[in-house]
Amino acid sequence: MSHFDNKIPPKREDRLKACIAHSDSICGLAKKGKNCLTDDGERGFTQGSICLLLPALAILNSLPDNVVLLHSALGCGSCSHSQNSNVRMGGNVRWGKVKDGVWLSTALDETDVISGGESKLEQAIIEADRRYRPATIAIVAGCVPGIIGDDIDGVALKIQPQVSATLLPVHCEGFKTKIWATAYDVVYHAIGRNLLQERGLLEPKPEDELSVLRDQEKLSRTVNLMNVSSMGRVDELELERLLMSLGLEVNIFPVFSHPDSFIKATRAALSISSCPTHDDYFVGYLQERFNVPFLLKHMPVGIDNTSLWLRDIAAVFGFQEQAERLIAAEEAELKTALEEFRPLFQGKKVFVSAGEFRALATARLLQELGFEVVGIRSFHHDSFAEGEYEKLAAEATNDYAVDIANVQPFEEANLLKRLKPDLFLGHANGNMTAAKLGIPTHVIYNTGLAYLGYRGVFELARRLHRQLNNPAYNRNLAGNISLPYRDEWYGAEPFSYINTRGRAVNE
Amino acid sequence: MSEHFIERARYMCSLGGAVGTVTALPNAIPILHAASGCAGNFAWTQNGGSALQVGGYCGSLTVPSSNVQENEVVFGGEERLREQIQNTLKVIEGDLYIVVTGCVPEIIGDDIFSVVNDFRREGAPVIGAVTGGFRGNSYWGYDLVLQALIKDYLEKDLPKVTGKVNLWGVVPYMDPFWRGNLEGARHLLELLGLEVNSFFTPADSLESIRRAGEAELNVVISDVYGQGAVKLFSDQHGTPSITLPLPVGVSASEEFLRVVGEALGLESLRVEAVISREKKQYYQILEPLTDCWNDLDLQRYAVVVGDANYAVALTRFLADDLGWLPVLTVCTDQLQEDEQRALAGRVENLSSGFTTNLVFETDGSQVQGHLNRVWQPSQGQKYYNAFSPAFVVGSSFERELAQQLGAPHLSVSFPVANRAVLDRSYTGFRGGLRLAEDLISAVVAGR
Repeated sequence: MSHFDNKIPPKREDRLKACIAHSDSICGLAKKGKNCLTDDGERGFTQGSICLLLPALAILNSLPDNVVLLHSALGCGSCSHSQNSNVRMGGNVRWGKVKDGVWLSTALDETDVISGGESKLEQAIIEADRRYRPATIAIVAGCVPGIIGDDIDGVALKIQPQVSATLLPVHCEGFKTKIWATAYDVVYHAIGRNLLQERGLLEPKPEDELSVLRDQEKLSRTVNLMNVSSMGRVDELELERLLMSLGLEVNIFPVFSHPDSFIKATRAALSISSCPTHDDYFVGYLQERFNVPFLLKHMPVGIDNTSLWLRDIAAVFGFQEQAERLIAAEEAELKTALEEFRPLFQGKKVFVSAGEFRALATARLLQELGFEVVGIRSFHHDSFAEGEYEKLAAEATNDYAVDIANVQPFEEANLLKRLKPDLFLGHANGNMTAAKLGIPTHVIYNTGLAYLGYRGVFELARRLHRQLNNPAYNRNLAGNISLPYRDEWYGAEPFSYINTRGRAVNE
Repeated sequence: MSEHFIERARYMCSLGGAVGTVTALPNAIPILHAASGCAGNFAWTQNGGSALQVGGYCGSLTVPSSNVQENEVVFGGEERLREQIQNTLKVIEGDLYIVVTGCVPEIIGDDIFSVVNDFRREGAPVIGAVTGGFRGNSYWGYDLVLQALIKDYLEKDLPKVTGKVNLWGVVPYMDPFWRGNLEGARHLLELLGLEVNSFFTPADSLESIRRAGEAELNVVISDVYGQGAVKLFSDQHGTPSITLPLPVGVSASEEFLRVVGEALGLESLRVEAVISREKKQYYQILEPLTDCWNDLDLQRYAVVVGDANYAVALTRFLADDLGWLPVLTVCTDQLQEDEQRALAGRVENLSSGFTTNLVFETDGSQVQGHLNRVWQPSQGQKYYNAFSPAFVVGSSFERELAQQLGAPHLSVSFPVANRAVLDRSYTGFRGGLRLAEDLISAVVAGR
């Protein structure tokens, strides 16, 4: 039985044994492989982070002709205010149209908490369908319905015949999983269960034979390029450029794709992940159900990783020779272009912090630019990253620290005071600690900026060169304000709150 | 307005407002007893709505949070909270720690006060506020934090000190101009020689907040925000209060000074002297605009969309100070009937004699429909009295409406995604000049 036959997808701590509280070193993680995934602990002191609802909404808010209907207390999903700028800019660069996303909330109140919110949800779906006439309504459950027992799948099933939009129940009860990457699974789960049915039979007339053949030929070299919102249009264009120069057609999916077009993913010749952390759940399903094979190994961030990524794809289609020519030309051109930046980068110490795969691939990229990696903080750890740790360990000059933490900037502040890096790259919302310590910083993910492929290497180098040329903003901050940690904390062992003997989450 | 949902709510839940409020207090640390995602949700919201202000000394993803999970849902979260408070006191440097709660611990029945009081008995500066998201919006969260301060932090039974006042009604981060607006209102009160406790400005301290009971008057510059707290304050400290609209611009500031002066029994000659001096300066500064004001024909029709504070304050500024024609005022808050009546009273008798149409509508997409009801749309006739030239003052969501109307636009009320605000102020006399600059700059941007 497939996970997709269940209403709710499994959480990643169960499916992948992913963990979030672990301290280790680069060589330690490279050697350990899967063994370290069994002893996830809990911290006795924690700082706030995000939950799966946030990345899930980042995808859902981007879908044209979709309305997001949050079924929870009023505040859940207000994160959409910042995601809306991505929706606006993403729409503009793709279609020249700037439009706000549409997100609604049933705003469950004290009465609903006691008497249940299902009837309110039913009415809300019907009214949203009438007011906005969307192709789909994503019914997104937050924590409250998860505790009071509202059945969003039951409501969707009951109301579906009364509305013209396709209803997509999405389970984002934040307290149920500590691995927020489960977000990608819950969205893909909703897509897989509701939007991949063939509508109508294809019965081509005899005279259409040629165009049918052409379509088939096109499909035989069409690849799904998965993007769950961690790359912007500029990165999509770079990967498209590389894949098209191998003679491939590209179907980018699911962000900014119309829900009616999702069916195309089932007809492609190959699914290509740009980040294994994001896509494993869905590419597996496409293979199992629609015989679409997949690649889920490298992330095209950095020179070597981009080339490895391309080689794997080319091998599937027997385009190795073309790929080698392309790679050789691209690498040579890029390496020459990078020369002007190298002197400033050479030997500078860098600390990297982001989602696991992104952090590791970016660390490798920074090594390629001449930086020395002195520490990594990954948001979680699962087995997809084993190969990446091995790649980094092979080139590491010392056995630097790796902190597995769902944000937790207090550990990072402690580490940074010790390591004193010359540069810090952190996720959105993740640079303020380093910035207040006066370290030059750069955001490791922003959908308006280029990061992926060969162009991404160049553009990132260009931006880092700019940051390092005048880090006065951060330096001024550090001279005048302080982080909220006590002096004693900086003296303590950075991982002293990781209690590996603590309760396991599913106890 | 839908009865079943809110479209793109222009506020967070009460926990979100509470966290923003605590992080804006001097040296205060919020401790969230909530699911892990609440903090990130607020950080992302402020990123998108609070004109680029996120965090502060201990905000954003730095906030301590118990990050309750299924385990706590099953077995209760009080012990987890105890552990979290204990360790927060060890790791985080602050002078006041305020536990604020999210939906999950509240629904499962955690009693935070049984935990918080254990720490208080040992002398730790910890208080608590019950702010579960389903209780209301972020404006109410602000109120709940003030209530917690009044109940458990302020010194009781202090003698009243003549000339001391408390200032409330501007909600940190939910008003993107909160710093400047508080300072602008504070400055007005200081013009009368008063000593002001405004809680959230750099001039405030926890020591002065502790002594807020000394005030002889509470001044609330909002018909809605902080009203619960000020009632509690009156009960506990016997301090009278007055409610005034957010004093944006010259007419509102003039009224503000008079009403406060009267409430405190200040000598009216002194108050009038202050008013006439400030007005003189205001018009001296405004004067050189007059040529271009006329030559460029800068009078506009306007639509105002805003929260309970801004909807009425901006309307009044446009009509009475600037001589514009705000024909539609949309308040996007969910309000009780008495609150709606209070706001309606604010725009009923404008000194300019101009009358707006005030509607209460949470959903921005419906504003165009309301405008069509107050201003007859074109029937394609040759001579049509168009809604033009027009201006839209609202949040960044009103850009779509402005585009449809072919009108310039200024984001003032939450969410403000397209402006960077640090301490810009629209309150007071000078605040009116700032607002005039920003509005007219938007009109002439293409010049």
